[in-house]
Amino acid sequence: MTQKDDEQKNLTDHEYDGIREYDYQLPTWWLNLFYASIVFAAGYFIWYQWMDGRSIQEEYQAEKAKLDIILANEASKSATVSEADLLALVKEPAQIKAGKEVFQNRCAVCHGAQGQGLIGPNLTDEYWLHGGKLAQIAQTVTNGIPEKGMPPWGPLLTPQQIHSVVAYIRSIRGSNPPNAKAAQGELYKE
Amino acid sequence: MNQPEKAQEFDSFSYDDDIVKKFVHATLIWGFIAMLAGVFIASQLANWRLNLGLPWITFGRLRPVHTNGAIFAFAGNAVFAGVYYSMQRLLKTRMYSDLLSRVHFWGWQLIIVAAAITLPLGYTVGKEYAELEWPIAFAINVIWVIFAFNFFKTIQIRRERHIYVAIWFYIATILTTALLHVLNTIQIPVSMWKSYPIYSGVQDALVQWWYGHNAVAFVLTTPFLGLMYYFLPKAADRPVYSYRLSIVHFWSLVFIYIWAGPHHLLYTALPEWAQTLGMIFSIMLIAPSWGGMINGLLTLRGAWNRVRTEPILKFFVAGLTFYGMATLEGPLLSIKSISAVGHYTDWIIGHVHGGTLGWNGFITFAMVYWLVPRLWNTKLYSEKLANLHFWVGFLGTLTYVISMWTAGITQGLMWRAIDASGKLVYPDFIETVTRIVPLYYVRAVGGALYLSGFVIMLYNIYRTIALAPKEVEPVVVRAPKLLEPTFEMLGRKPHRILEGLPGLFAVLSFVAVAVGTFIELTPAVLSSDYVAVNPAVKPYSPLQLQGRDIYVREGCYLCHSQMVRPLISETLRYGSYSRAEESVYDRPFQWGSKRTGPDLARVGGKYPDLWHYRHMMDPRDVTPDSIMPIYPWLYRDKIDFDVLKKKLQVMKSLGVPYTDDEVEHASDLAHEEAHRIASGLVAQGVPADTEDKDIIALIAYLQRLGADFKKGLIQ
Repeated sequence: MTQKDDEQKNLTDHEYDGIREYDYQLPTWWLNLFYASIVFAAGYFIWYQWMDGRSIQEEYQAEKAKLDIILANEASKSATVSEADLLALVKEPAQIKAGKEVFQNRCAVCHGAQGQGLIGPNLTDEYWLHGGKLAQIAQTVTNGIPEKGMPPWGPLLTPQQIHSVVAYIRSIRGSNPPNAKAAQGELYKE
Repeated sequence: MNQPEKAQEFDSFSYDDDIVKKFVHATLIWGFIAMLAGVFIASQLANWRLNLGLPWITFGRLRPVHTNGAIFAFAGNAVFAGVYYSMQRLLKTRMYSDLLSRVHFWGWQLIIVAAAITLPLGYTVGKEYAELEWPIAFAINVIWVIFAFNFFKTIQIRRERHIYVAIWFYIATILTTALLHVLNTIQIPVSMWKSYPIYSGVQDALVQWWYGHNAVAFVLTTPFLGLMYYFLPKAADRPVYSYRLSIVHFWSLVFIYIWAGPHHLLYTALPEWAQTLGMIFSIMLIAPSWGGMINGLLTLRGAWNRVRTEPILKFFVAGLTFYGMATLEGPLLSIKSISAVGHYTDWIIGHVHGGTLGWNGFITFAMVYWLVPRLWNTKLYSEKLANLHFWVGFLGTLTYVISMWTAGITQGLMWRAIDASGKLVYPDFIETVTRIVPLYYVRAVGGALYLSGFVIMLYNIYRTIALAPKEVEPVVVRAPKLLEPTFEMLGRKPHRILEGLPGLFAVLSFVAVAVGTFIELTPAVLSSDYVAVNPAVKPYSPLQLQGRDIYVREGCYLCHSQMVRPLISETLRYGSYSRAEESVYDRPFQWGSKRTGPDLARVGGKYPDLWHYRHMMDPRDVTPDSIMPIYPWLYRDKIDFDVLKKKLQVMKSLGVPYTDDEVEHASDLAHEEAHRIASGLVAQGVPADTEDKDIIALIAYLQRLGADFKKGLIQ
């Protein structure tokens, strides 16, 4: 059978404004694709809604449990740092340099480029809202003061970065920058 | 042709081609404006300075001008042009009423003008592609009904026994779009240009995305398939490949499409069974969608040699291929685990533009190049320019789509990257933004190329029409009158009989879309325990409500979501995932669909008031690389305290538990709260006259987001 015969055989008698229609069989691959998608859809719904398939919530809880183990491990690794260790860092120029970089990237937005205070309090005076001991400052940086808008940096910075930024903050104490924000909190002297 | 040849009377009549010309003009004019707006907002994303600090052209207000313009003005007018041209010929009759055709035309253009004025002024409902405020939304319903009436009356007076597949698609389009638009725009007016939807939170989200998804289905897909079924066989001069494929893919497409809306809400607070339905119906949609592509491409058998030379056929082939790509990509993006990566990113923007630029645009161009010489009784001015248009448009589309795929996948993967110590690799959202800004430039270039191609077409069409003969005799058509059908005249096969009974056909296609609508929407809209009411979630204070309306007005939802998904990478970044009960007072819901900036569901209390104050003044003060526009007018414009009583009244009538006292003293309460916030700011050096400015209301709202949750009362 030539292609012409084949076309003649499949041509319907429909005509609309000169448009004719063949009536070829549905392509097999197309039909199979359609059936396969229906079988998949039915199976998916039955498994996830009516049988053992894990719901989004269960999936999340399982992932969260895994993450919690990792985070607990990490927390035990970074043992608390002593006041003396932190004070020692203040004397290391490399630490101060690293801390300054972190400060400019993260802290300057709210505390000012010179630590003079802006949205957040002045960090160059001797008054502290949440304790002026370096270990306390490290705590504040790590856990934040969420109710006052100070974010916790623990999830974003490494312990080394937090220590160096605390050292940097100590290094600018008494620097008297211009436009300093008025003192807040309690006096702390070492 | 298959009319039983009895003694037949012949009618002489002519087609109304003037209305087609009108719609073609409108398509070209609005197409240019919508695409220009698109290139402009794309450039704003690449460089925030282009927002110019002017409210009317800032991204959040202009983006709806682009989307509504492209969908309802460009594609909408193109559909009407094609429908009016083809239906008269396919039914062998002039339109039922020339007057109604013109009411439809001018009504639609007025709606577009009203949209183009009100959207930049910030009058918006705040739901994507349904932004137009209630008077305009109402006008759309009225004009649509007029169009539908004229359409069905024309079918009634036809001289062709059976209706062709193009008409089937037009019927489904007209009925379903009416259903979608009416149900999604039920809203209670507060004033001339402000209203609240009757649905809230998760219900509003479901109804909106049932609408939003099916606007894609029944405004951008089914009518264009109808156009393709008329203009492609005409242009190729070949019979349609398979009548039975038309039947199978038409019915499966309209039945299945309507269910797929919830795939826009995967991993949100929507009940999971509805999400799963949205996903599986999207998967089942692949074959029905491809049915149209196959039937189109195989119709070209025997005409492929002409594709090389004829620009019209090139546009059809490329258009159908982009359609095939988009309708495979969409279902793949609907798979939950793929959505987890792609949702909220530019991948979705790339996906949408593959469909709109590649499919809707190219089919429209093919149709216009075919129609204009016939309507004006002349030849196309330049085939060469049309070919150039094709290649420039093709290159523009590829540039656009590929840059957005790259940007979307890059950012999606960066958002979810977690290192071995359980920390986000890119904890700063801004890092993931600066990485893709270069691609925003590439995208703007792609869009500009596409627009250039369109301008080439405008010139070509302008010259074509200018060269056309001025006076043309109207063509008189002769066709036999249609006799009252006997059953045997309709045919023997069931579907053939149905094609001779358009009323029944319309009813059945309405039933096909009503089934999925009913099953998915009814529980959400009618059942009170669909979302558990939590007493810890309190209604917004009057000032917060005002701030929320400002958030909606500025289109913040177009770049910020308010929906933390239950995924580890999200809860690490934003805090606990969002619960359905948190948005029960949200009218409209503001879950968002795109994160050009970070999610805001938990932003309340994260920063001090002063941070927000400085941020809206210039986001770069607090986030140096931010690409967000500036909002200086929020510091100038005064809060409208007087409207608050009315707003609370409307909210109360919708079931929000405000006390009579709160409603009565809404303005006083707002003044008190504004005073409290402003005093805190003034103490930190902010100008003393800030208290009654819009920014204060916006801060009140932003600080409220997620606050109920943080009190620990929601589990």
